[in-house]
Amino acid sequence: MKLKSLLAAGLLGVSTLALATAAAAQDKTIRIVGFGASSGVVGIFGQNSSAAMQAAFEKINEAGGVTLADGSQAKIVTEYYDDRCNAEEGISVLRRIASTDALVAIGPTCSNVAEPLFGILQAKVDDGGDTGLQFPVFTDVAIKGGLAGISEWVFRNTPSEATMYDSLFAWIRQTHPELKTIYGGVEEDFAHSRFTWYEVMKKAAEANGFEVVGEAQWLLSDTNFSNQARGMRRAEPNVVAISAHPFTTCGMLREMARQKIEPEVLVGLTSSSSLETISGCAAEAQGLTIPTSFAPVNQEAIEAAEAVVAKGGQMDLHSASAWENAFILRDVINAAGIEGTAESLEEDRRKIRDALAQLTEAPGLLGQNKRMPDGEAVKPYVFVHAKDKGWEVLHEPSS
Amino acid sequence: MDFYFGLAQIIGVHTLLGLSAYVVLLTGQVSMAQAGFYAIGAYTPGAMTAMFGLHILPAIVIAGLVSAGIACIVGFPALRVKGLMLVVATLAFGEMVRLFFFNLTWQVERNGELVGPNGAEGFRAIRYFPQNGWEVWHVTVFIWIVVAVVMAALWWMDRSRAGAVLRAVGHDEIAAQSIGLNLTAVKVGAMTAGGFIAGLGGGIYAHTVTHIEHGVFGVLLATFAIAYPILGGLGTVFGTLIAVLFIQGFLIEGLRFMGDWRSLLFGALIVLAMNLRPTGLLGEHAPRMKHLLGLRGRKTETLESKEAN
Repeated sequence: MKLKSLLAAGLLGVSTLALATAAAAQDKTIRIVGFGASSGVVGIFGQNSSAAMQAAFEKINEAGGVTLADGSQAKIVTEYYDDRCNAEEGISVLRRIASTDALVAIGPTCSNVAEPLFGILQAKVDDGGDTGLQFPVFTDVAIKGGLAGISEWVFRNTPSEATMYDSLFAWIRQTHPELKTIYGGVEEDFAHSRFTWYEVMKKAAEANGFEVVGEAQWLLSDTNFSNQARGMRRAEPNVVAISAHPFTTCGMLREMARQKIEPEVLVGLTSSSSLETISGCAAEAQGLTIPTSFAPVNQEAIEAAEAVVAKGGQMDLHSASAWENAFILRDVINAAGIEGTAESLEEDRRKIRDALAQLTEAPGLLGQNKRMPDGEAVKPYVFVHAKDKGWEVLHEPSS
Repeated sequence: MDFYFGLAQIIGVHTLLGLSAYVVLLTGQVSMAQAGFYAIGAYTPGAMTAMFGLHILPAIVIAGLVSAGIACIVGFPALRVKGLMLVVATLAFGEMVRLFFFNLTWQVERNGELVGPNGAEGFRAIRYFPQNGWEVWHVTVFIWIVVAVVMAALWWMDRSRAGAVLRAVGHDEIAAQSIGLNLTAVKVGAMTAGGFIAGLGGGIYAHTVTHIEHGVFGVLLATFAIAYPILGGLGTVFGTLIAVLFIQGFLIEGLRFMGDWRSLLFGALIVLAMNLRPTGLLGEHAPRMKHLLGLRGRKTETLESKEAN
């Protein structure tokens, strides 16, 4: 009896071990971690980004996952860390991610986190004198121009606002040759909105023959815009450009409506081409024109948007980048010969970095994205405008 | 491991910020200006190392001295008011400093690139540590040496006449004045010392994050600065350290997995902590080693036993 029990126990143990080994062989995983602000005033960016990443990786895993160097398949596992749009927290989160078996991180969402975060990374690859963190970061949301140049470990799949706004103002000049003046409104204390007005919109407008007749400034937490709108009304501009996030964009638009300011053309910030603007002030935003690198204009984009909605998020130009990043990383992992073991972790991270650096093109939801030598991207874009409680494609520059 | 070193850096830097408010709080004054001194401390050595190539050590000492000087100048008019009026006055100063850096654009060319404060876009590339071969643990050790020196100095001060003077003013100004203490000198002295410590903290902070901007040094940071010593208790310098560990280590980093609920729980746990320990986590009086080891308890028991007998 005792011998039988021992044999049974041994058999059970061996079979369990065999099953576990087989399961382990099947369950090879690659970890790709997202991070950004998923709480607070700008938390919606991280929530959408997280949903897009989850949806994309789920789709990749359903199709078999990624192929490792030994030809085996591995599933991608992901999680999302909240940095509350705080620089210290963002750095801490990235250090935490780098201390795990994650191969690459997707994030952050806030430009004011991205700048310090990229600063702690090694500036030049293989620079022995630079002890910065050596970990690849593939940014989806933080859109302020020129940040990838801070470190060679940083790559961004954010659209080029300079290209998009230059094209938009050229198109406005072409379609409305009678318009002469522009008035700018800027959310002054947010890195992205401020940079985009002063360095992008304003320069693009002037380059296309518009005269800047005034500027109004406000802060992210402002709720009263009457003074700014009064200045705008006095200037009687043909075009008004608002470089602000959805919350204050809506505040300003409501005040403009109250003071009956009706410019011929209304231009908004890329980040405001989102559901928040429509749900916040659909009526006042009517006609607001924004260049964006995402719109559901083809079957793939429509399906991607539906998949993200199913995960509780919304697809906009930012979360679309998170979606695209997932698929670009899948292709990079498949091609780079990633081993996916604990011993090869550092080497695998380096392979991903090098593979991202070598890309000259990458697939996107609106077409091929150009990968630039400095780690930035130039993406296809369309002009959308707010119409009937939604965003409608107004013009496709590539068509 | 780098993650834990990084976390230790954050805790160290915030401890300095909290200690800067601790010194002022000892005199019974609530200063919301600490974030302003911290900002001055951040931009000054940032400029010295990134723009002019100075070594980190003199840079942060100079930052401390500049902040201390400004704290001293601010202290004279600000400390003529008390209570809520002082809170408003120091808050206004903090905002003034923040807005100064919001508007400050001063860049010089270094290695073909413009370096320096660029208004609202902040001050990028303060990369002294990685550029000079400092590993993360080197930076952590450096920060904690500074923290240890500051804490030791404050601990020693607390046990000297200076500490007694500060606490005397904090407990009862009239009584302190009646025994001949110069209230203005004491308060301004505390403010100056607080400014020096905040300057050191800000200087180190700028170099750990490599990029600073005005928005970091707002009211929220000023609130954290005074929250640390109040939550930790004013009985000892260690109270501030305990509070920073509680907030930065546990509430912010430890609860990160809770996602959106973290912010809610953050406030609730602070309220709970203040209700359970209204005089701070370590209380108003520094716990002595023999209390912690229970030696006093045994002695009391013996006396009680004797009385019973």
